[in-house]
Amino acid sequence: MNGFVVGLLHPLALPAHVLALLALGLLIGQQMAGRRIVPLAAFVVGVSAGLTAIASGVGQTSAADVLLAVAFANGALVAMARPLPTLACALLAAITGVTLGLDSPPEAISIAVATAMLLGTGLGASLALAAIVAGTSYIASVGDWNWCRIGARILGSWIAASAVLVLALRFARGQLF
Amino acid sequence: MDQTARLRSALSLLMDRWRAVTAAAASILLFAVPALAHTGSSTGGFVGGFAHPLFGPDHVVAMVAVGLWGAFLGAPAIWLLPILFPLVMAFGGVIGIVGVPLPGVETAIAVSAVVLGSMVALAARPPLWIAALLVGAFAIFHGHAHGTELPPGADIVAYSVGFVVATGLLHLTGVAVGLLARWRAGRIAVRTAGGAIALAGVAFLSGLG
Repeated sequence: MNGFVVGLLHPLALPAHVLALLALGLLIGQQMAGRRIVPLAAFVVGVSAGLTAIASGVGQTSAADVLLAVAFANGALVAMARPLPTLACALLAAITGVTLGLDSPPEAISIAVATAMLLGTGLGASLALAAIVAGTSYIASVGDWNWCRIGARILGSWIAASAVLVLALRFARGQLF
Repeated sequence: MDQTARLRSALSLLMDRWRAVTAAAASILLFAVPALAHTGSSTGGFVGGFAHPLFGPDHVVAMVAVGLWGAFLGAPAIWLLPILFPLVMAFGGVIGIVGVPLPGVETAIAVSAVVLGSMVALAARPPLWIAALLVGAFAIFHGHAHGTELPPGADIVAYSVGFVVATGLLHLTGVAVGLLARWRAGRIAVRTAGGAIALAGVAFLSGLG
């Protein structure tokens, strides 16, 4: 597999990244129709910034922990299903994007392969998020599918619960921050 | 002849659905592979976390009782309780993981089966906040017990996801069975199931279970 494809699949191979993308996608998808583009754009900008920082040589950070903390917040907000101000949603999206980017260092020796992996990661994460938002938005728009909207809230509570358990375990093992 | 055709059509539909279910199960297992690959431990990944709640009968019956009661109470309890429980259970898990002691955890878990099962058996309909408070209080004990039992060296993200998903699916199983309460015979069946859960709780309390 070439570097680009590995990068493309990277956000879907790490459970923590899947959790974060799912929580954010559900949260953005729950918002009103006109308020989804700004958070989506904020995520793309954020993930690009995080990946650029990695490419510029930023070393190991606590991005994984922050990513889980944001996944917890996003999951809890999905469970509550309250409309958010666009700016707040965009801020959460940007933090998710930056931390996801920073938590995706490429494991490659060649600069060309590493660059391809980073580009793939950015595209893969953005496409995955867009797909989740599109699915959630569709569910939210179908009047008869109330059980699906409730299902999304239950999923949000599961994500929040999983994320906070992981953070507690990391804290107990002295691995947090 | 028409009947045969209809029977064939129904069988074909059933086979299609079975294939879809099999494909979905295979996808879940495939999804678990990278998680296991990250850990290098067969007990620490998604499958280990998923299996953990299913091997505690006291936990299983109480989780099913939460779903049964939610369905019995109707909206909004039917969805509020399964949303509330994992969040509060995670809080209990956190205090268990960081080592905060909680007295009588095992007893409280057995009592949760007795109380929640009895609520279903007696068709109790308290105000929503009381039901939420009761379920939330028991969730802390369930979470604490699981938090202290989490294995060292596990891929903690995949493990926690598996663990929470299994617990949530037990609730949804209870909700699905509880929906039978829409019909008279189903209502009797659901209340009987509640009674059986309460009796199981008594058995756990007395050390027979």
